[in-house]
Order: sequence, then structure tokens, then C-alpha cells
Amino acid sequence: MGILSGALTARRYRVDGEVPIGFREGFAEGLRSYAFQDKSSPTAGEELVGWVEIHNLLDVGFEDINRWLYDHYAIFSLRVDKRVLPAKLFKAHLEKRVEAWCQEHQRSKCPAAVRGELKELLEFEMLQKTLPRVSVYEVCWNVTDGWLLFHNLSDRANERFVKLFFETFGLHPKPEAPLDLLGSDEELGEAMLCTGGLDYRPEVDA
Amino acid sequence: MSANDSYGGYDDATPVLPHIAAEFLLWLWWSAANSGCRADLGDDLGPVDFWVDDRLCFRAPDEGRAAAVITGENPAESPEARAAIAGGKVLRELRLCIRRDEREFAVTLKAPGLDMAQVTLPQVVSGSGEEALYDRMFLYEELHSLVAAFFQRFALARSTADWSELTAPSIRSWVGERMVAQDG
Repeated sequence: MGILSGALTARRYRVDGEVPIGFREGFAEGLRSYAFQDKSSPTAGEELVGWVEIHNLLDVGFEDINRWLYDHYAIFSLRVDKRVLPAKLFKAHLEKRVEAWCQEHQRSKCPAAVRGELKELLEFEMLQKTLPRVSVYEVCWNVTDGWLLFHNLSDRANERFVKLFFETFGLHPKPEAPLDLLGSDEELGEAMLCTGGLDYRPEVDA
Repeated sequence: MSANDSYGGYDDATPVLPHIAAEFLLWLWWSAANSGCRADLGDDLGPVDFWVDDRLCFRAPDEGRAAAVITGENPAESPEARAAIAGGKVLRELRLCIRRDEREFAVTLKAPGLDMAQVTLPQVVSGSGEEALYDRMFLYEELHSLVAAFFQRFALARSTADWSELTAPSIRSWVGERMVAQDG
């Protein structure tokens, strides 16, 4: 947790664009449409991405507005699941299966096509037993003032967030840059754009 | 690659110039050391105390990754920190504390986007989740305004000719003085 308690580590975004009247229903519908959905037959390395309620990552209904909209703050989380097989264990199991096939068919080597089939089958079996690696990132959106916090700084997580946010709400969040801290002072912003980096090493006497 | 690409930004977002955040962090450090850790942020925010806390992180100018991380008690005064600047490294992260009235904030500012990490807000007394959210976002906004006010002051100084003629030489001699003092 960071939005509701503990230390905050977040990238701040501006959300340009007008929030429509009666946005509550529209937002709830968007969150439901892009809510996290588990998959019965996952593939290795595939990422599943979607919104979940902030209080529990298993809640994806967004039915009770009082659980995700507090006055002008919309709070929810982005869940990203990825199933990864333990590479060494997978390889060891595959070798055993290949050996068994060779023994059964009285062959010294296993053809590549058969090996591929064995690999695919093993991957499917092991993925059913493997728990996903789950990441959850909190979002706090000040709907009235047009800014939001995404509680993670990695570029990858932020890119995923921006993409899904746009698909969900049709609004494009833009990361706040240092020059945005100057607010409406465009002249000062322009002047800063013209600056170049300087060297601050102390001059060494000859 | 543009500065924005390296920040994971977008074409229509405000450009992120890598040197600006690094220079801002250096200016904060230098300002704290030269102002007795006190600043007046104008009519809206008033006087504040500010100081570099327990973390400074440097990188080589042409690299994104950290080259030196200095933590512990008062890293701003450590010989390693001065040596990093003297050796041509630039600041990548700085842990800043700001005290306004009785409220104390701590934040790690990260270049190039000035992302705010490990933000510690003053203790919130509200009990329920909803009240805590309002209080924390109110305090977060206050911290954001304080950082923005510091950045405004930096930008006003940085965009004038005085910067290269007076401020930059002053920063250079400040770094140099400390190196001489430590050598002696």
C-alpha cells in the first residue's frame, strides 16, 4: 500500500480532456470492461493485465461506487499476472520425458518434432500447476483537478498503465515533467528549454 | 533517442531535458548549504527549512545508471559526495527533507523526470481509509507545491545570464573549497 498508507513512490500524470457529466457510471463501466480476467489455459510468459479494486486484488466488479470513488478521487489498481516456468526444472522434466520416449520406442535419439510435442504438452501441464507472478500497482486519480498518481516508477509498468488507461477511459495521461512544475509560466519554460548542461567541476589551478 | 524516450514519455508530453533535473538537485544541495537550510517560498508557502537527508546518488553525465550511491548520516558533507561532483558526475537522486510549520516531509527526487519516491508525509491522525486518503492527498499536494516552488526559484535563477556568470562559478568554488578543506 502507498496511496492509503506507507511511503509513496509514484509517477505523477496530467490527465487532459474533459471529464463528462455523469462520469461515475461511465468510469464504472470502463473499469468493469477492462477488469482483470484470469485465463483457464495460460501460456508461458504471457501477461494478463486489468483493473482490480484497491482493497482486494480479487475484487473486479466495481459495483459499489463507494469502494473506488471517494469524493473526487478514483482509486483502483492495475494487476499484471505473468506465469513463468522454472527453467531448470522444466528442462529436467523434459529430458526425462525424452528419455522415456526413446526407451518406449527403442530409439537412441528423439526427433525434433516429437521433442517439440513433448515440450508443448509438458508446458501446458506445468502451467496448470504454476501460480502466476502477480504485480499490483495502485492508481489515485484526482478527477476534478486532472492529475493522477501511478504507484510505480518503472517505465514498463507505466507504459502498460498508460495504454490500458487510454483504452478504458479514452483519456491520455501524460507524465509530468520538471518543466510542468512551472505551471502556466510559458515564458520561463521556454527560457529553460534554451539552457544547456554546464560543467560544475571546480577549476583546477595549473 | 530523445530525452523523452529515455523517460518512457510520449511525443506530446513536455520535453524532459536530462541536465535540468540534475542541475536542480545540485542547486538544492548548494542552496541548503549556503542559506542555513532556510528558504522563503513566497506569499503562498512562506518560510521553510530544507536539507539534504540520507541519500545522494550520482551518475556519469552520459549514462543513465547510478555510478555512486552515498547513504548514511549527512552524506551531503561527505568527501565522497564532493569527489563525485569534482570528478564530473551529476546527481541522479537526492533525498530532501522540508519542514513547513510543524509538518515535516521527506522525498527522494529522481532525475530526469523528478519523480517523487519514498515520500514520507507528516503523520495522519485520521482513522478511516477514506479520511486517510483525503489527508494524505492534501499533504501530497502540499509537498508537490513546495517542490514546484523550489523548482520555480531554480528556473528563475537558471534562465538568467547571472547563472553562468555568478551562480555556476559560486557552485564550482563551493565544491572546490570543500575539496581543499578535506585535503588539508
